Amino acid sequence: MAHSPAAVVGIGQTHHKKKRWDVSLGGLVREAARRALDDAQMDWGDIDAVVLGKAPDLFEGVMKPELYLTDALGAHGKPMFRVHTAGSVGGTTGIVASHLVETGRHRRVLAVAYQKQSEGNAQFALGSGKGASLGAGGAFAPFIRSYIHRSGAPLDVGPMVAVKDRQNALKNPYAHLRLEDISVESVKASPMMWDPLHFLESCPSSDGACAVVFTDRAGGEAAAADGRPPAWVLGSAMRSEPFGFPGRDPVLPQGAADCAEDVYAQAGITRPREQIDCAELYVPFSWYEPMWLEAHHLAGPGEGWQLVESGATALDGSFPVNMSGGVLSSNPIGASGLLRFAEAALQVRGMAGEHQVDGARVAVAQAYGASAQYFSMWVVGASLDPFG
Amino acid sequence: MVESTITFPYQRSLGPVLGAFLTALTEERLIGIRSGDRVLCPPLEWDPETGAELAHDFVDVGPAGTVESWCWVAEPSEQHPLDHPFAFATVRLDGADTGLIHVVDAGSADAMSVGLRVAPRWRAERRGHLTDLEAFVPGEAPVPGGGGGADEPVTMMGYNASISYTTPVPDNVVRSEAAAAEGRFLGLRCPICGRTYTGGRGYCPVDSIALTAEHEVDLPQKGVLTSFTIVTPVQYPGQTETDPFARVHVLLEGTDVVLSYQALVDTPNEAIRTGLRLAPVWASAAELGDGAGDTREAGLIGWIPTGEPDATDPDLVNRLC
Repeated sequence: MAHSPAAVVGIGQTHHKKKRWDVSLGGLVREAARRALDDAQMDWGDIDAVVLGKAPDLFEGVMKPELYLTDALGAHGKPMFRVHTAGSVGGTTGIVASHLVETGRHRRVLAVAYQKQSEGNAQFALGSGKGASLGAGGAFAPFIRSYIHRSGAPLDVGPMVAVKDRQNALKNPYAHLRLEDISVESVKASPMMWDPLHFLESCPSSDGACAVVFTDRAGGEAAAADGRPPAWVLGSAMRSEPFGFPGRDPVLPQGAADCAEDVYAQAGITRPREQIDCAELYVPFSWYEPMWLEAHHLAGPGEGWQLVESGATALDGSFPVNMSGGVLSSNPIGASGLLRFAEAALQVRGMAGEHQVDGARVAVAQAYGASAQYFSMWVVGASLDPFG
Repeated sequence: MVESTITFPYQRSLGPVLGAFLTALTEERLIGIRSGDRVLCPPLEWDPETGAELAHDFVDVGPAGTVESWCWVAEPSEQHPLDHPFAFATVRLDGADTGLIHVVDAGSADAMSVGLRVAPRWRAERRGHLTDLEAFVPGEAPVPGGGGGADEPVTMMGYNASISYTTPVPDNVVRSEAAAAEGRFLGLRCPICGRTYTGGRGYCPVDSIALTAEHEVDLPQKGVLTSFTIVTPVQYPGQTETDPFARVHVLLEGTDVVLSYQALVDTPNEAIRTGLRLAPVWASAAELGDGAGDTREAGLIGWIPTGEPDATDPDLVNRLC
């Protein structure tokens, strides 16, 4: 257990776009970090350590970005960490930063995660520079085909998620995609990119960054006393598992279940869907909403798609999922995990604006990476004892 | 050993400070930025000590400067900026308080010294790269390249990154490739859990033990398609595909071995379905050229339907690993 709870007192993100060519790479991460510091009412000198996350260096072709971005992030003379766990890296970056506070090693830690996809090409990078790269969609499509078979889900469920998340994005001023007229019909009419995934069931390529400021119990309580509600990290967990072996189920990975059970236990959660008010899950392809609801025990086996179909996961539903618009609306890959974690924190701070879930007190966030091999999750609360 | 090279044309957005610096280079000018009492060249967007915002207060520096430190490159490689011996040096330009790392074309190492005065030699063709300044040369007088500056401010920089790797090939992979060259799948069976692996994977990820020649088993030459996708190719630099192509998971019959993301041969996409029975298509010895080692099954081109009746196990689609 932690020595001291960690509190999120500052959150910032960029406006995510296809091309942020108005800023340098440093300018991009700086924009998110500056907003997080402003939110925390801190300046660069108040930060004790910086933790940086991004996806593989091949995405932008910048080696050792943690060194290159030291000046942009005010890290001169401070500990600077680089985190890398593929697509889950943004979440892991937040967890590593929170640990630095929880262990008492540092009092104020800045976590920053980014991707500037326009500088390179994700499919090139994911294919290790070769032709016939499957892209992430091609890698996950066979798993999705299996989920559809085993759950018996109607084929409209994926398109329904695609529509729901893009409608949520219209309420998020930072979101990349703004698809006013999207419908289940237009999703199904869009090109088949990775059968069974349509173009509009897939995430965009985005430039963007996210930053979170963590502080200790005293800092969190001081912020609360000042009328700036913190989000308390009630639990965090990571799991990883090998790419493949006979008996591994990449649709419902053991790592996903273990990660969820661990984080719920830390937070004192025994009935996840009743005790958690909303979830921000890493859903780069539509079908991953029901798949992760089930894999992380937020829904029973075969029940995930029914939650989608019933409207329960809509912003005004009984269990809202991806209130921000999710990865389907903004995908600066390395930042996408931290954006999920930050959205959960915004919700319990009551600072999510138009995409706020009324009365959210406890929220869960998740990110995953590689071939559904890395999992990062946290549960945040409006208080340290939300079930008391 | 396997040689491989990865190349990609990256695009950098420069932002307001590096953009101004590289624009000035096209005009044969060097600029720094004020940071407190100091002038930084190359200019930075933020105070490197405090992280504070810097006003965009640019000042001309140089053109001459002083070598603060240097390192002689006696045998330049193809990736070095000059094709003959030169020095990498830190040059503090007149009027600047920090050093710019660049090239000094001094002829011989004997001509180099800390404190050496140098001036820029400009290229005739300037495009907003640091190499618009071809090299510094000893003396006080710049060597002009001629011509004018960029018509528009420089905001982007193309960067063709290339890196070559030499990767050792483990014994298991060598044996696996040799088997593939003979048109055979080489399996490695874990003595603890009984799981079988292909492609020369020299370990069991479940039991964390090494799998070596003593664990080799023969595997059947028949498979069944479990799950699949059909990919519409995105046209990135280096993409070799233009039309939608399939990748399928193949379960070797009578085993627990699944080969993932396999190619199909001479099979229309419409004919792809779970349960399709397949046979491997192996490359002939003549076809096994430089590509050996690039894929897990070097001699395996793909799979072709056998025409036998489909497998009927309703849960085949779940066999993914």
